[in-house]
Amino acid sequence: MTTQTTAQRRGPSLGERVGLFAQDRGIQLLILVVILVVVMSILNGAGVTIGRVNSDYFASALISFVPLALLAIAQLFVITSGKGGIDLSVGSMVSLSGMAFGISLVDWGWTVPAAMIFAVIVGTGLGAINGLLSAYLGYPALITTLATYYAYRSIALVVTDQKPVSGSEIQDFYQSVAAVELPLIGGQLPLFPLGLFTFFLPVAVIAWLVLNRTAYGRKLYAIGTNDTAAQWAGVDTRRTRLTAFMVSGLLSGLVGVYTVAQFASARPDAGTAGSGMALPAITIAVLGGVAITGGIGKLGSVALAALLITWLNASILMLVPGNEGAQVQLLALGVVLLGASLLDGWLQNRRKRGAVKPPTLTAAIALGDKPMVDTPAADTTAAAQGIDEPVDSADSESDSR
Amino acid sequence: MSESAVKTQQQRVNTRKILPPFVTGQEIVLIGVIVVLWVILGLTTPAFLAAGSVGPLLVQVAPIAIIGVGMTFVIITAGIDVSVGSIVMVAAVVTARSLVEFGLPFWPALLLSLLVGAALGALNGVLVAYGRVHAIIITFGTMNLFRFIGLQVFGSSTVNNMPPTFNFFGRGDAGSTLGIPHAFAIAVVITAIAWWYLRYTKGGRSLYAIGGNAHAARLAGIKVQPRILMVYALTGLLAGLAACMTLAAGTSTLDQSVGTGRELQVIAAVVIGGTSIIGGRGSVVGTLLGALLVQTVSSGVVQLGWPSQLAFFFVGLFIVIAVGTDLVRERARRRS
Repeated sequence: MTTQTTAQRRGPSLGERVGLFAQDRGIQLLILVVILVVVMSILNGAGVTIGRVNSDYFASALISFVPLALLAIAQLFVITSGKGGIDLSVGSMVSLSGMAFGISLVDWGWTVPAAMIFAVIVGTGLGAINGLLSAYLGYPALITTLATYYAYRSIALVVTDQKPVSGSEIQDFYQSVAAVELPLIGGQLPLFPLGLFTFFLPVAVIAWLVLNRTAYGRKLYAIGTNDTAAQWAGVDTRRTRLTAFMVSGLLSGLVGVYTVAQFASARPDAGTAGSGMALPAITIAVLGGVAITGGIGKLGSVALAALLITWLNASILMLVPGNEGAQVQLLALGVVLLGASLLDGWLQNRRKRGAVKPPTLTAAIALGDKPMVDTPAADTTAAAQGIDEPVDSADSESDSR
Repeated sequence: MSESAVKTQQQRVNTRKILPPFVTGQEIVLIGVIVVLWVILGLTTPAFLAAGSVGPLLVQVAPIAIIGVGMTFVIITAGIDVSVGSIVMVAAVVTARSLVEFGLPFWPALLLSLLVGAALGALNGVLVAYGRVHAIIITFGTMNLFRFIGLQVFGSSTVNNMPPTFNFFGRGDAGSTLGIPHAFAIAVVITAIAWWYLRYTKGGRSLYAIGGNAHAARLAGIKVQPRILMVYALTGLLAGLAACMTLAAGTSTLDQSVGTGRELQVIAAVVIGGTSIIGGRGSVVGTLLGALLVQTVSSGVVQLGWPSQLAFFFVGLFIVIAVGTDLVRERARRRS
């Protein structure tokens, strides 16, 4: 009797548990990070690498981990809020708030804390403009942030006539991100960039608490999963979404300050040079398992994805010399993003087909399959399976409005 | 006889009911804005309306408008393609190198560029149509991939001493007939064909259906996936054509920044033209006007002697205004 029930319920056997474990994005990323480090150590031992790849090298590479991770967390908030949420303007906000920091510090002679607060307020304000347009006036987020990407970038470039701001104050400030020895146990460990502790850790801890331990976090996931249902449940969806964009602005402001410290000058194109900062940030968020349709995403996986990309980039520089290395980084970013998302889409589809589908709504939700309704391909597979998915069709309808 | 007359009459009525008006409100507003801008610029900077200034402007509009046609198709199907800048880059550098090293004549070089563009676009199409992943993610990925390919073809330097093979598309005397730049004329012709296709053919209407509701379109018997594949391949093909125009527009040197940021310009032109980013609604005529507006703003800022970076600000502002008026009208439409 009991065995029969178990069989019916498909309670997880050991093999299935391992399977579920391996399907967790965080675990997958962790495994990839470990593989990367092991492979690089072996290559280092074999003498293939250009320089010495050791713990010191990996630790010092973390200096570029901080901005990537912070901006990916910003995308986590905005994308999770759903309704096509995405923030293309982060790079421009980084530039503009970095300029605000530099100008107030050097030209206006403010203290570092005052200038920092000013930069973060500027960033949050810019994020609020994005949020007001998207959440309250009904602009699609992609359009809003495309427009503000242009506008903010333009202001950042024009405000000092494209000249970077630098001065002794900024030079001193450079110390706050430079590599340091940890107190007490530092002698045994490699030198970590201080920015990891002054910028990344506080943000990651607070953001994790906000997402997982506050009412706001639950609301954010709720509006991302089903905007209408959340509204009926009494969530002020517009305010919640506005706040998500403001968080994105706030984090961009922090990254603005960080880049000023990193480059030892406030550069008007800090966040928009090349292909900009938004694309890597979105790539990392998606790689970290954030569903582009909203409602799904974990901070831990996003941070691990940022770590993977950072160390992957650092490793590439040790294998491919010079300019070529920067090019291979592009290739790696593209291949990793495509590979991860295609594999994800394929697995989701396979799971959907393989699962014994209970016809009730709750069971369908419990399956945790958020269909990628924006993808026509996903829609057509749903159609191919028959129209027995109430959740899917309701979702696709609300999304296509 | 009268019966058939009645029938055609009825068909005509039906057609009129289904199809949107020839020119939408957005397009009239855009024409108004462009005319006002041109008048203001003409009055403040006398050089602007002189033929020497408008011609190059139209030449620069052409690549944006041409890729914009493809992008409009893509966005109508509720997709997006952020990799077009990288496609332009690959097509441009492959073509440029073959011009320099093999001295390819005009037609083979054009064909090569189109083929490269279409192949890359088709890759996007396959991945978007069959990959079960949102188009923006796919094209972010391929954007990096294509940029890598482009940089590899570049080697580590610029492509120098390009022959003037593509002068036909350029700003010089060889690039225009009776004062009309060839590049712009081609953009207008492509827009006209695309307009006809979207409005009067089964294939065109099905793109709107896919964008409105892919599931319903599928149930209505539209082959969704092949259509989506075709749309991205077409966008790549048009990016290949735009690449040839880019080669003609510059000097004899092609540097590695070619195509960078092109995707945002094109998307800006498309949304300013009134195409809904959610899919299911849009027009290529609007896109042509949007491209004209974006380029007018960029040139105008320079002509007025303002910092050229200020142009980005106005492009952003115009996106907000254009989409805003569209949202207001959409709300009014729903109320009635």
